Amino acid sequence: MATRVRSFWRTPPGKIAWLAICLGSIVVLLGAWWYLTRPGGGISPLFLPPPDEVLDAFVRLLSRPYLGSTLGQHIAASLEVVMTGWLAAGLVGLPLGIAMGWWRKARWVAFPIFQVLRPVPPLAWIPLAIVWLGIGESARVFVVFIAAIVPWVMNSMQAVYSIDALLVSAALTLGANDRQILTRVVCRTALPTLVAGARISLGNAWTTLVAAELLAATSGLGYIALNASRTLEIGILLVAMAIIGVLGALFSVIMQLVTRIVAPWSRANAEGA
Amino acid sequence: MTTTKAHGPTAKMDIRGVSKTFDTRAGAVHALDRCDLAIREGEFVVVVGPSGCGKSTLMMIAAGLEAPSTGQILVDGKPAGPAGPQRTVVFQRFALFPSETVAQNIAFGLRVAGVDRAERARRVTEQLEFMRLSQFRDAYPHELSGGMQQRVAIARALVVRPEILLMDEPFGALDAQTRTVLQEEVARLSREMNYTVMFITHSVEEAVYLGDRVVVMSSRPGRIKKEIAIPRDAGWRRLDIEEASSEPGFIELKREIWALIRTEIVRQ
Amino acid sequence: MTTIAAPMASRPRRAPLSPPLVYGAAAIAFLLVLWFAATAIPGVVSNKVLPSPFDVVERFATLAADTFSGSTLFGHAAASLTRWLIGVTVAVGLGVPLGVLLAWLPPLRPAVTPVFELFRYIPPFAWVPIAVLWYGASTTTQAMIVFIAAFPACVINTQLGVAQVDSILLRAAKTLGAGAATTLSRVVLPVAAPAIFTGIRIAFSNGWMALVGAELVVGKQGLGFLISQGQINDSVSTILVGMITIGALGALIDVVLQRVQRLLLPWKSATTRPVA
Ligand SMILES: Nc1ncnc2c1ncn2[C@@H]1O[C@H](COP(=O)(O)OP(=O)(O)O)[C@@H](O)[C@H]1O
Ligand SMILES: [Mg+2]
Repeated sequence: MATRVRSFWRTPPGKIAWLAICLGSIVVLLGAWWYLTRPGGGISPLFLPPPDEVLDAFVRLLSRPYLGSTLGQHIAASLEVVMTGWLAAGLVGLPLGIAMGWWRKARWVAFPIFQVLRPVPPLAWIPLAIVWLGIGESARVFVVFIAAIVPWVMNSMQAVYSIDALLVSAALTLGANDRQILTRVVCRTALPTLVAGARISLGNAWTTLVAAELLAATSGLGYIALNASRTLEIGILLVAMAIIGVLGALFSVIMQLVTRIVAPWSRANAEGA
Repeated sequence: MTTTKAHGPTAKMDIRGVSKTFDTRAGAVHALDRCDLAIREGEFVVVVGPSGCGKSTLMMIAAGLEAPSTGQILVDGKPAGPAGPQRTVVFQRFALFPSETVAQNIAFGLRVAGVDRAERARRVTEQLEFMRLSQFRDAYPHELSGGMQQRVAIARALVVRPEILLMDEPFGALDAQTRTVLQEEVARLSREMNYTVMFITHSVEEAVYLGDRVVVMSSRPGRIKKEIAIPRDAGWRRLDIEEASSEPGFIELKREIWALIRTEIVRQ
Repeated sequence: MTTIAAPMASRPRRAPLSPPLVYGAAAIAFLLVLWFAATAIPGVVSNKVLPSPFDVVERFATLAADTFSGSTLFGHAAASLTRWLIGVTVAVGLGVPLGVLLAWLPPLRPAVTPVFELFRYIPPFAWVPIAVLWYGASTTTQAMIVFIAAFPACVINTQLGVAQVDSILLRAAKTLGAGAATTLSRVVLPVAAPAIFTGIRIAFSNGWMALVGAELVVGKQGLGFLISQGQINDSVSTILVGMITIGALGALIDVVLQRVQRLLLPWKSATTRPVA
């Protein structure tokens, strides 16, 4: 008996058991949330409102403008800034990172600069951005750019640098010149890793944008969250957080899809990693 | 240092006085010491030697992928240029481009050389058939077994019609059965097409079975210790490797070569 | 006799990623000179927008000696470090045991998956407004943000480190008569230690980065607060001193941790990639 109990705990659950435990855990969590936040349940709705109140807040956000814009406009404002900053960073960071991975002189010169910049959190650039650019959109784009460029560069460099040297040798013996090797072999082989870098970069950009919106914005999801916090509308605040999280997850999923589309040959795809 | 009879105007590839020293953090590694080796047109030369003796280094130099510390590589009597399709290489680790299908991998050398699409398609199809790969044409390397991947690598190296084919322990990463099949395949290739091949292995059996000449290298720093000609008309040539390896002549040669290598391993 | 003068196209790919320092030093020196030149030549960049390097050094000295927005630079740094330490200590204290549990008892994994997935994509910073509501402008608020930023890296890397311990080792321990506790403490943890430590390093760094953000929004002390005060006072040199201090402390923390790791765990590091 004892060994059977032990072996249950020591074996990974099967697919169905996994799902069941997952669902059970969700039910327990929701139940606990509901139970603890019911009237007289011990947790004040000012600390954490009950689930139905959060749902109400979501419906209210959907149906009526909040702080002068609809939810869609707030989301669009956030997306616009994050996409602009992230794409601009990619436009600079991707070629720079590839160059740094391929030409060691470029790496020797540029890598230390990034090593010096890297420990400064992107968020710490926000005050500087505000002084330089005011609390408009350009300040937010600037901060997102700063947050996104480091992972763009570092991951692209690593992706190119860690290409199997044997592939380069093989291409050389087959008569490829340096340019052909860089475009046909190195960049294509590195593609999944390059996209992974883009994904990390987008995640950083998103995280930083939310911070920037807490400090320098007149619309956007972070702006909703901060205002809801000031006006004690916790339901709205939680909904804003959830939307931020869902969009972050969505970005990640989309980027994984992109890998699958641009690099159908990738082993990582085959293994679902 | 052994002088080679093949020296002279007939040598297709001539490795002359090649030494190689690597500068590493732990000091200089003397990998090759004045190696001389001449390979005639259509000859299948197998290089054997204890592991770490510099076989791969010699091949990298022959391919133009590594510069010798001293000495030179001549092809048709002229200094060989940088690495290129004149001397293609089959590596132990296949080195297929993971982002390209079998057909694209094989077409690589033709494409970078600017061969037009129709001609490319024709030659790739021909090569696929020759290597019995037609049904895998659109597969990606990671979908293939090791043996299939190595067939693709061989096809990719042959399709550009190299003057010399260099193979560095091409079957070292394969299981025993796949290896046997591919050994026979390569034997067939060299018989039918009469390629000039420099083939590296640490398997004495493979060397005797495939080679016209077996070159034994000493332990590091690698030197050419001895060359042994394998009779072209040996009785086992047309047998498969299983049967060949029980022929008395085969066993005799194998024993002789193995004895040479053994003294080198012991000497280390 | 050295021939084959032909260009060797094979690249020295085995060269270490850390480059000869002269190049980097020259590049950074060049940027500093550029910075100085831009501020020294009148009319290029206003001192209000970008003060000269010397102004920044001077400001550094002033901030180190005099009180600004409540304390000296060191006071602000100490406040930040204290909050950070509280947050990461709790994160490591809870995260590492949880990671071990999750790896050791697989059925627990699906139980925490929903929560983990729910919170994974919410940036630590998005917790600031609610943390402020819950705990006001207190150390708890800041420490909570640090905790949220640091916790996942501890759990995930510990779990990976423990899960990758070769089952042959476990069987070997069993045949030698080791019980679960012995196996865990003598076999599993030493093997997983490098991965765990890497997780802790990532956690520390994530926590530090998030703390700065939290301090920008709430609080009356700390380096993030210092730079936000610099912004309010339109003092770019203050902001730069703050940024440099934050970066330097962050880098210092990581260097110290790397040293400690090498000292405590001289054996080979785990093969799994760390998860940030
Ligand atoms: N790039 C290199 N840098 C330093 N040492 C090397 C390098 N390549 C090979 N060596 C050394 O040269 C010797 C010969 O290597 P190799 O040619 O690979 O031997 P083999 O193929 O016969 O096993 C070995 O001792 C190896 O460590
Ligand atoms: Mg070798």
